[in-house]
Amino acid sequence: MHINIKREIRESSTGKAGIIILVIMIMLALLAPLIAPCNPYHQSPMSLLPPSFSHWLGMNHVGQDIWSRLLYGARTSLMVGFGTGALATLIGTAAGISAALIDGLYERIMMRVIDTLIIIPMIIVVILLSAYIRPGVITLILILSFLSWQGGARVIRAQTLSLKEKGHIAAARTFGASRLYIAWRHIVPDLGPILLVDFIYNVRRAIFLEAGLAFLGISDPNMVSWGTMMRDALSYSYLDAWRWWLIPPGIALSLTIVGLTFIGHAAEPVIEPRFREVGIA
Amino acid sequence: MRKIANKKFLNLAPKLIIPAILALIILPSCSAGTREINSYTIADTIGDYGYPSPYTHYSRGPGYIRMSLIFETLGWKDETGFVPQLARDWEYIPGENAYLFWLRRDVKWQDGTKFTADDVAFTFEYTREHPYQWVDSSIVQYAEALDDYSVKLHLSKPYAPFLQDVAGTQPIIPEHIWQDVGNPEQFTSGKAVIGTGPYKLADYNKEHGSYLYGANHDYYIGEPSVNEIKFIKVSAEMTPAALKGGSVSAGDIPPEIVAEMEDAGLTVITAPLAWNAKLTMNHLKEPLSEKRFRQALAYAIDRESLVEITQRGHGVAGSPGMIPPTSEWFNPDTPQYDYDPATARALLEELGYSMEGEYFSKGGNTLELELISEAEYKDVGHFVEQELENLGIKVDFRTLEAKTVDAKVEAWDFDLSVYGHGGLYEPSILPRVITGEGFNSARYTANETLNSLLEAQLTEMDAEKRGELVYQIQELYAEDLPALTLYYPNWYWAHDGTINLFYTSNGVALGIPLPLNRLAFVEIEP
Amino acid sequence: MFNKHNISIYAIAFIFILMLNFILPRMMPGDPVMAIYGNEALVAMTPELKAQLVERFALDQSLWQQFVAYFSGLFRGELGYSYYFNAPAVSVILGRLPWTLLLVGTALLISTGLGIVLGIESGWRRGSKTDRTLLSTLMSLNGFPDFFLGIILLIGFGVTLGIFPLSGALTPYSGLSGIALMMDILKHLFLPVGALTLAYLGGSYLLTRNTMITVIKEPYMLTAKAKGLSQRRIEYHHAGRNALLPVITRTGIWVGKIFTGALFLELVFAYPGIGYLTYEALMARDYPIIQGVFLVVAISVLLANFLVDLFYSRLDPRVRHAY
Repeated sequence: MHINIKREIRESSTGKAGIIILVIMIMLALLAPLIAPCNPYHQSPMSLLPPSFSHWLGMNHVGQDIWSRLLYGARTSLMVGFGTGALATLIGTAAGISAALIDGLYERIMMRVIDTLIIIPMIIVVILLSAYIRPGVITLILILSFLSWQGGARVIRAQTLSLKEKGHIAAARTFGASRLYIAWRHIVPDLGPILLVDFIYNVRRAIFLEAGLAFLGISDPNMVSWGTMMRDALSYSYLDAWRWWLIPPGIALSLTIVGLTFIGHAAEPVIEPRFREVGIA
Repeated sequence: MRKIANKKFLNLAPKLIIPAILALIILPSCSAGTREINSYTIADTIGDYGYPSPYTHYSRGPGYIRMSLIFETLGWKDETGFVPQLARDWEYIPGENAYLFWLRRDVKWQDGTKFTADDVAFTFEYTREHPYQWVDSSIVQYAEALDDYSVKLHLSKPYAPFLQDVAGTQPIIPEHIWQDVGNPEQFTSGKAVIGTGPYKLADYNKEHGSYLYGANHDYYIGEPSVNEIKFIKVSAEMTPAALKGGSVSAGDIPPEIVAEMEDAGLTVITAPLAWNAKLTMNHLKEPLSEKRFRQALAYAIDRESLVEITQRGHGVAGSPGMIPPTSEWFNPDTPQYDYDPATARALLEELGYSMEGEYFSKGGNTLELELISEAEYKDVGHFVEQELENLGIKVDFRTLEAKTVDAKVEAWDFDLSVYGHGGLYEPSILPRVITGEGFNSARYTANETLNSLLEAQLTEMDAEKRGELVYQIQELYAEDLPALTLYYPNWYWAHDGTINLFYTSNGVALGIPLPLNRLAFVEIEP
Repeated sequence: MFNKHNISIYAIAFIFILMLNFILPRMMPGDPVMAIYGNEALVAMTPELKAQLVERFALDQSLWQQFVAYFSGLFRGELGYSYYFNAPAVSVILGRLPWTLLLVGTALLISTGLGIVLGIESGWRRGSKTDRTLLSTLMSLNGFPDFFLGIILLIGFGVTLGIFPLSGALTPYSGLSGIALMMDILKHLFLPVGALTLAYLGGSYLLTRNTMITVIKEPYMLTAKAKGLSQRRIEYHHAGRNALLPVITRTGIWVGKIFTGALFLELVFAYPGIGYLTYEALMARDYPIIQGVFLVVAISVLLANFLVDLFYSRLDPRVRHAY
């Protein structure tokens, strides 16, 4: 009885929905330079205009086409979001599982390092770094991952601690399984849904942090992202413009999160066959 | 039964109505002409500006304003110009380089003590040891109380804007309270807010950023128009809604909402241009050390278009002489560097640059400049970047955290920067921002003539001669162009009309562009 | 648990944090005098004034002297004197702290509680319509940042419908007291807490639900069912309890970080809080306040994590040494 994760996702309705959403998002982002009707960086005097035939989502405060910015923003937000999400979750998982499986001093020190990093005010570190490093997408991913992995590490460690006492793992240990084997073959699959939560959490957080950093001024001013679009729109919320300026990036982000969640939901039968919907061979 | 009741009423009615009407006619109404408004609420986005005592309010315009409701100055200004305040008259004695002030005799401190010349003399002596952050304490050399109601201030050197910058800004503090205060920055008891002004402090709350003032009914000029003035913190986005809804009587509003505010029945007023955004240049470094290069940049940036796009038309294109076109000091012959990319290119070619592909280069090196600014100016920075790129200069534009930008500019670790400052009402600002120290200033001292003109205008007591000097300064400054003024923004306030708010002539005190002059809140007896 | 090893490692970590707390702010470019006064063109920055300021901010002392002053101040329970706010740092922070606790604390409590309950229900019924509906609704909400939800609620209920106030934590100088004052504060609290709760909800919900899923397939669940226990009891007492571990851990981490994280929401609602205080202090390079705030954060995080670790063994007896 081999459960094929790809088939599970493809054939569940939520899985299909999730894939469609994400594929559309990614396609729009990738094809942005081709589909976008206007140059998203081109400023013009036609500011704060409502949606029209030529500008589907209207114009922002410096006369830039919002729809084009939404498309280009997808590139930045998705790259930064997914990149940071993946890297932060990876580091957090490695740290958390290793801390739980390897006892003694290593664990104690690792935990205190994690605690310290959680406490260190991220804002100051970023301000310091920004004076010396240029904020491009890659550096942003690295910095944000460095600042985000700790939370997941703690959670994963906690859950691993309770998992490792389970019967089948104790059995594997008696068979002489190495810790790496146990981690890879037993813990990670069991933790699957929790790792997904960590991933989604990190993606979301990365996108918001990027907006927060832009607010402080620590960003490439020529980079457009959903987060910065929302933040810019916020300053003009006393006008009606928020309807077509604030809402679309919010919805875009919301759809991305939902897409990821649905895919995760469809993958759940992998760990628990009883979850499978009836009717799949 | 009803009929009888009605009858009784009909009989009673005339007996009640007529006396009532008579009463209304005969009994005096509230004192003629006074609208006793109970409460006036002013919105502010930041809220907290410190305890409103001279040494504890924060160093920002609204901080001074909140203190100025309580503490007064020798002279003051209203919308037309100088008016008497604590001093009813004054005279400049050129021979002694001193100002003689005759003080009013009917002024009392809010704790009942009489105000005398000793308080004035004491104040200026006190500032020698404890400088008041808004007044240069070295200007007044010593203060001499001639008798109880006249005081002579001896200046260390002639100072043209003395009346506004010193006499009209220095808050006078009571000797009997402050003579024992050794640490004024930490003096925050109730005694620290005893002034002579029309309002007393009833409450100050740091966390909520709110202030409550009560009327001082013993005020010597007239009766305060409102019983209470409240300052409350409202976010910038919500201020228009709060004004419309009536929970706030006055507040500053973004230009885009002006029409809607007027439609809603509010009065909208606009400040004379007070603030400018500048392109600061590192003129110590190649290629910006070359005057013609800086001029080329000026020709390359279409400042009219900059206002159209980044300010949505709510502003005025910058004059390279820094002083705004609406100012009485503006020199109409100041070179304007009207948008002319062809001239810009010609200047660059004169300097040995030639177009190689997209960009100019010299000696194999592409012409490249770094532009930094804080997040607030990212749109302006982007505009400048585009203009210069279109010209053929490669621009590397970055935004940084605000104080990091300041630090870099201070340390001359930059090429170009977008920055802004106010204070443009009085030419006394010019030395500070042209030759002065600090990142706020162009720190340009290479032009000896300009340097001496800047110093001379401060001490030229004849207004007309001073005007000529300021005219020349603008021409020389615009010629050398160590920094380029990009635009002046328009600022607006909206209010409900119950108080006639006005913009003080040349700003409150030494140039604060806010329509919150304490005289607006007083019923001035003719 | 309270053995020498652990205490000493905690202590070392804490001291290291205190040192970082001192060093990091001072490494930022710029100094307080420039940061606070540099902008204001109207301030008469004479050499005398500058000298006074430098002396007042103790910038003329060597780094070591400042460090000693900082450390000895800590022992006395002082955090220094704020340059920008002109008041003892402790009082400035304590002035805002209750409001942050009220705003963020309430939102955290509600969102965690609600998230856990909904997560358990959803996980238990994994795959059903309830599960899918909850999942899509809550996770689509999760995609919106807190300030987004805040401004939408504010525009909808505050501006358009006029039911809720537009700014502040209370109506200043309203003269209210007692119950009326409490109602006023609650009215001002409603929208910001609503926005924060909705923003945090998805996180705790999804974590609980997904942990629940990993727990459901445990053999002891079948045993419980076979024992004939009521569904509610199995769901909450058996499964739910075991699904709590990660979400409690996560909440412990949030407790510390969230002090400074609500900055945008505080801006939108003009709500006094530590978030905006931190921003102002950073802008002013106000070292005492920056140090003070992050000390508060450090203590809260360490305390919260310590409590969570204590909680582990009670929640899951199999975990013998979680610390």
